[in-house]
Amino acid sequence: MRFNLNFIKEFIEIDIEPTKLKDSLTMAGMEVEHIEKVEGDWVFEVEITSNRYDWLSMVGIAREISAILNKKMNIKYPKIKEKQVLERKIIIENQNDCPFYVGRVIKNIKVKDSPEYIYKNLKCTLNSINNNVVDITNYCMLKWGNPLHAFDEDKIEGNIYIRRAKNNEKFIGIDGKEYTLKEENLVISDDKKIIALAGIMGAKNTEITKDTKNVFLEAAIFSPITIRRSKRVVGIDTESSYRFERKVFYKNLEFASIEATSLLEKFADGFYYGYKEVPKKPIIKEKKIIISISSLNNYLGTNIKRKNIVGILKRLDFKIKTKKDKLIVSQPLYRLDIDREVDIYEEVARLYGYNNIETRIPPTSVNPEIRSNYDFKNEIKNLLVNLGFNEIISYSIVAQKELERLKYYNFIKLVNPLREEENALRVDLILSMIKTIRYNLNRKRENLKFFELANVYFKENNKIYEKPTLCISVIGELENFFYLKGSIEEILKLLVDNFYFKEDRLNNFDNALKIFKENTYIGFLGKLNKIVLEDFDIKTNIFFANLDIEVLENLKSHKFYKPFSIYPSIWHDISLTISKNVKFKEIENIIKSKPYITDIKIINIYKTKDTEVFTIRIFYQSDQRTLTSQEINTIHNSIREELAKLNGVIIK
Amino acid sequence: MEEKIKNLEENFYKDLSLAKTIVELENIRVKYLGRKSELVYLFSELKNLSQNDKVIYGKKLNSLKENFTNSLNEKIKNIPQEEDYLDLTLPSISPKRAGLHILTIVTNKICNIFKELGFKIVEGNEIEDEWHNFTALNIPLEHPSRDAFDTFYLDIERDKNKFLLRSHTSPSQIRVMENYKVPFKIISPGRVYRPDKVDASHSFMFHQIEGFAVDKDLNFSHLKGVLLYFAKEFFSKDINLRFRPHFFPFTEPSAEVDISCFFCKNTQKEKCTVCKGKGFIEILGCGMIHPNVLENCKIDSKKYKGFAFGMGVDRIAMLKYRIDDIRLFYENDIKFLEQF
Repeated sequence: MRFNLNFIKEFIEIDIEPTKLKDSLTMAGMEVEHIEKVEGDWVFEVEITSNRYDWLSMVGIAREISAILNKKMNIKYPKIKEKQVLERKIIIENQNDCPFYVGRVIKNIKVKDSPEYIYKNLKCTLNSINNNVVDITNYCMLKWGNPLHAFDEDKIEGNIYIRRAKNNEKFIGIDGKEYTLKEENLVISDDKKIIALAGIMGAKNTEITKDTKNVFLEAAIFSPITIRRSKRVVGIDTESSYRFERKVFYKNLEFASIEATSLLEKFADGFYYGYKEVPKKPIIKEKKIIISISSLNNYLGTNIKRKNIVGILKRLDFKIKTKKDKLIVSQPLYRLDIDREVDIYEEVARLYGYNNIETRIPPTSVNPEIRSNYDFKNEIKNLLVNLGFNEIISYSIVAQKELERLKYYNFIKLVNPLREEENALRVDLILSMIKTIRYNLNRKRENLKFFELANVYFKENNKIYEKPTLCISVIGELENFFYLKGSIEEILKLLVDNFYFKEDRLNNFDNALKIFKENTYIGFLGKLNKIVLEDFDIKTNIFFANLDIEVLENLKSHKFYKPFSIYPSIWHDISLTISKNVKFKEIENIIKSKPYITDIKIINIYKTKDTEVFTIRIFYQSDQRTLTSQEINTIHNSIREELAKLNGVIIK
Repeated sequence: MEEKIKNLEENFYKDLSLAKTIVELENIRVKYLGRKSELVYLFSELKNLSQNDKVIYGKKLNSLKENFTNSLNEKIKNIPQEEDYLDLTLPSISPKRAGLHILTIVTNKICNIFKELGFKIVEGNEIEDEWHNFTALNIPLEHPSRDAFDTFYLDIERDKNKFLLRSHTSPSQIRVMENYKVPFKIISPGRVYRPDKVDASHSFMFHQIEGFAVDKDLNFSHLKGVLLYFAKEFFSKDINLRFRPHFFPFTEPSAEVDISCFFCKNTQKEKCTVCKGKGFIEILGCGMIHPNVLENCKIDSKKYKGFAFGMGVDRIAMLKYRIDDIRLFYENDIKFLEQF
């Protein structure tokens, strides 16, 4: 919204610098984006919040300035001697859409250029100049805040109807474009045709041209919701719809209509012929809100004196009666945004100055019942960072196409996506992780270790799920599957007792290990299969792990200190050849079934065509005493013998 | 004899002081302590002396030998061995540090400041319904005040309640107020979504932090106190805040809060690219919780008052770390991630 100082000065004397005024308005809640000089005048660009419809007019802005500067307003309210009532019928189909409509006819006008002051005011604000008739309606809209529309009276055929459009009815606006209407659109029509999209735009067929002789001037109240829905259907925003959406005030509507009529007489050489209003003038009742001085001060944390409160409210045109320690306050009728005590508190606070209110630290009061898993999530994140993984944050919204490619079908879709690439919620973090890895690989970043902890979303049995999930991934020379497995073990060791891995098959993975504690499924890790990699045009292996955060949190057990042995640990190596059909787990199980084994490590792997040669280091230790070499040799030999009995294992 | 010993000693220490390498020191050892050395010759001379002198000079020569040996060894110890010598000018081998995402770092920093003031962290739901995202927050479903909250709707509908991706973190207020008893002080971070086309400063997903408190004796000055404490801790001790009246449907009175520019500190603000010459930067919105909102959550608005505030994490992170493109957060280029 733009306003120019000269326009405002019609109603109030302003003797402060424009930059000062800019700051004062901003600090009172009318944010001035910037000011500039146009045509020798100062133009202010302001942001009007959606509650202050009354600031969408020069009179409204002047009122605010008068309250801030504490100066008297000087407004001449226009008057007119009403003429005959028009014969034309004006029929409102539904008064919810249009509670009031007044039409005035001005005859014998001359369409020409506007007088200079109207021209200048419009140039500075709307920056749109037409002819004297249209300019006068725009000028009155700017001044009073209520949109008007001028029709070419001679092109209206018969009566006027305010009705809903029929589906697929066509409308050509004064912008020359054709719109296909729906039932949501409120229109003004005559006996034959639509002559305006109510509250939004007039039709081409009745617009004011240089040949127009007689004018039908419309002023009306349209329902904000109706206009809002209507403009959405056609996808246009106009100065008019912007104001109707935010409510209009009946009194200003009258002033706008009457002043426009007078100006058409004066500057278009016409004469006021007659009017019609339906159904009848609305009655607006004054509201009373009772506030107490102490409640106001308790709410704001201030100590504002009654005298000051009354002073501020009076400057804002409020009427006030005093009753003991209470004030009975009536807002000016044009303030449709004032509803409860708190609205009055705000008015007082903003003119008192928010920055004059003290700052205090509130007393502490903690609600011990409130819990959240935020800290647990952070704990997990920090564990991963300690292991050298970088956290990523990726979009929760992905492409349905890509989800389907990974064989997910229980996803939630967006009804109004911006584009196809983001039209569904991710069921899994893997998809985003693959894309992040691809992004980095394409930029020649190597040896990546990433994790993301975020929600995944899906539907199941008519229920919506939003579950925090952890996804970990490694890629690169050093970072292979076993590195990932080790990382998972390192994290789980700290959180869960007795977890175990179990081989399984999973969609999108060559093979995978599922992680359990007893029968509870915690997550999995695996190697992404070639088909998926090719789909995403990735040429290196990616290893993934996925863990359910809620399950982890539930399984989390408290860790106590465990004493450790002070006696020496002794190791012996075994080298063995294993054929492909033997799982290492079988060997591990045999070794771990023996006493005094504290750890085993693979220190070398040598692969041939169908066998693998392992060198395994076995650590022996007692927490009671130093083991003798004889004892250890006995155990070690028994391991050798048992391993030798396995099919496909040859001890070297 | 006396003179010979003195000369020998002088020559030795002179040579020793000039020696710089192990080789030179070894040569000195051969020259002064070797089989053909002056010292050995002097020892052989002892037999020609009187019994008395034999004892005196014998002692002297022995201590001289001992001193030579010790001095040499001491000096050798202080000269680095060839194989121990390191070229310290070689480039470093970088150990790879991993880190949290900068948005997590900033979120944690902010939340921790509020924790100091007794706030508790609660995360809300990202999938919300119209009641929690709009209606309960005093945002009418069809009103221009909703224009600021363009929203992604989801293909789920239950009992005429439409589901959506929350367009702000304020629904957390409603969730907490519905589920717990007053009083509370809550800080609630999380992802939010709006149908904005992606460019350098817009994203359809971003992060917000909502904070709110409800209790018997809370007022606007407490809101100001809490936010000033936060801003000084987070940005810098010497900043100021400016509260400007504004409109939010869910607070009354409402304010937008500007922070005095922590880059130009109001000097040379004309050239400042951060505040763009304004001297102030908008950082958050806040206000006293509208009594309609409290009542929607069945809290007695006559007895209890509350304040609330909300801020964009991405925006604040961009300001603080001079990140000029919001897309950098979500591309996750390792070159970006590892900087924090």
